[in-house]
Amino acid sequence: MLELRGLSKHFGGVKALDGLDLSVREGEIFGLIGPNGSGKSTAINLICGVYAESAGTVRFSGQVMNGKAPHERLRAGIARTFQNIRLFPNLTVWQNLWVAQNSPRDVAAQGFLSRWFGATRRTRRELAELLELADLGHKGDELASNLAFGEQRRLEFARAAAARPRLLLLDEPAAGMSRQEIEDLGGRIRGLRDSGVTILLVEHVMELVMGVTEQIAVLNFGKKIAFGTPGEVQRNEAVQEAYLGTSASDSGAAGEGA
Amino acid sequence: MGDFWFEFVEITQTIGDGLFFGATYSLIGIGFTLIFGAMHKLNMTYAAASLAGAYVGLAAFTFVNAPALVVFLISALASGLIGLVVYVACFRFIPVNNHLAALMASIGALFFIDEIVVHTTDGSPLTFPAMFEYVMLEVGPWGLRGDLLFVLAVSVASTVGLLYVLYRSRLGLATRAVSQQDVAARLCGIDVHRTNATTFVLAGLLGGVAGAMTAAAVGVLSPLVTVPLTVKGLIVTVIGGLGSIPGAIVAGLLVGGLENVFLYFRGVNERDMYVLLLLFVFLVFRPHGIFGSAIDRD
Repeated sequence: MLELRGLSKHFGGVKALDGLDLSVREGEIFGLIGPNGSGKSTAINLICGVYAESAGTVRFSGQVMNGKAPHERLRAGIARTFQNIRLFPNLTVWQNLWVAQNSPRDVAAQGFLSRWFGATRRTRRELAELLELADLGHKGDELASNLAFGEQRRLEFARAAAARPRLLLLDEPAAGMSRQEIEDLGGRIRGLRDSGVTILLVEHVMELVMGVTEQIAVLNFGKKIAFGTPGEVQRNEAVQEAYLGTSASDSGAAGEGA
Repeated sequence: MGDFWFEFVEITQTIGDGLFFGATYSLIGIGFTLIFGAMHKLNMTYAAASLAGAYVGLAAFTFVNAPALVVFLISALASGLIGLVVYVACFRFIPVNNHLAALMASIGALFFIDEIVVHTTDGSPLTFPAMFEYVMLEVGPWGLRGDLLFVLAVSVASTVGLLYVLYRSRLGLATRAVSQQDVAARLCGIDVHRTNATTFVLAGLLGGVAGAMTAAAVGVLSPLVTVPLTVKGLIVTVIGGLGSIPGAIVAGLLVGGLENVFLYFRGVNERDMYVLLLLFVFLVFRPHGIFGSAIDRD
């Protein structure tokens, strides 16, 4: 479903990502891990089109995505969330979801007026369901900026789901969450996958990664150093070295899960 | 007592007229603000495009004797179209971070539009049909001029319409989403270029109304109005707080009202000097304007 071939990104002399090959199969939860600065976020930004690649190709369900703008990739079916939450702070919770409804199906289903002016009853019902799923049913008219941290994370997750993606990129969705919230998030991720969405999860919190993913690729210094099931990756020596050999905070994160 | 009362009525009358006329400044300020809020760039052509729209409306009046409502509608549409052209010419293809290039391009376009107007009209002022010119409502000792009431009514109606679009329609919500978080907006599937173009058209529609109204209230359209209206619009935008719509509304009325106070006490020659002084005072003591935030237009 998602094929990366020789994907590279250079910032000046720094090779943030250096020839990454990766393939994510339809319907799986794929983990992408690695120490800070190993190129995970760069990879996500290349896949969704925020950055232009220096070399290599991004292929999504057979289609080459190179050179396509982020909104075009979204319409092709790639959505994402952000490590540092990026909601529309002065829109309400409900409006945050509404403006994100840009899937081809939604565009085709709505007439000009309901697309650009008022929402149809069906749109309202669908968004209400999404809000319920995110446990935000009672907060629809709150401004996004007034939500608590955990609620903002759930809203961002719901906003990405509102675009009806086929592939969802999650950029450290568990950052700053409590153990309980992480468990809850794991359930949401599985739930979304079961509804047919392929998931690429970039995460530091190992208990989440090891708990939900089926395949994991490990990056270090912009290169893939390991690939396999969670069990294989945990036993991999190069991976252990990469984590233990870098800063204390990263080794802590790795140690926690291992 | 009699003298004092007389003077009180005079001054309040003057301020009231100024507030009413200030509604047009509010509209121009809102237009600058809309575009600044969306792109964090100044569109210097805005007042010129608004007046150019009014010229097109005037042409409709002169050549086919269109009724007032149609004149306003045509002015708005023409100005909206000019807004779209300005967006494509001065903003669309200039890199997002190059603020100076966009500013210079729009200043160039300002003079270009102005030149077109000067050439087609030979630079001479044209009479614009005044509306409700002879209507005068008596409220106690005060008189409400019909033309100014009309200005106020149209301003309020178009502002309410704009606010409705911005805060309730998906179109407006998308433009606000872009201004608040443009990276996230792109990744939510919003086409930023199209949304920005929409903002220019919306602002242009409003500007056309403001331009036609200014012309209707003053009774003439002249290329000489372009630069002062640009300056007033910018002053209103700064005093209101760059990017704040409520700020632009209040600042427009404030400038309109105070302008007449200056006019009353110091005469027409010194009026604009004091308006600029007001800007100066704001820049020194309250650089973020009345409503604060320089970041987001909400």
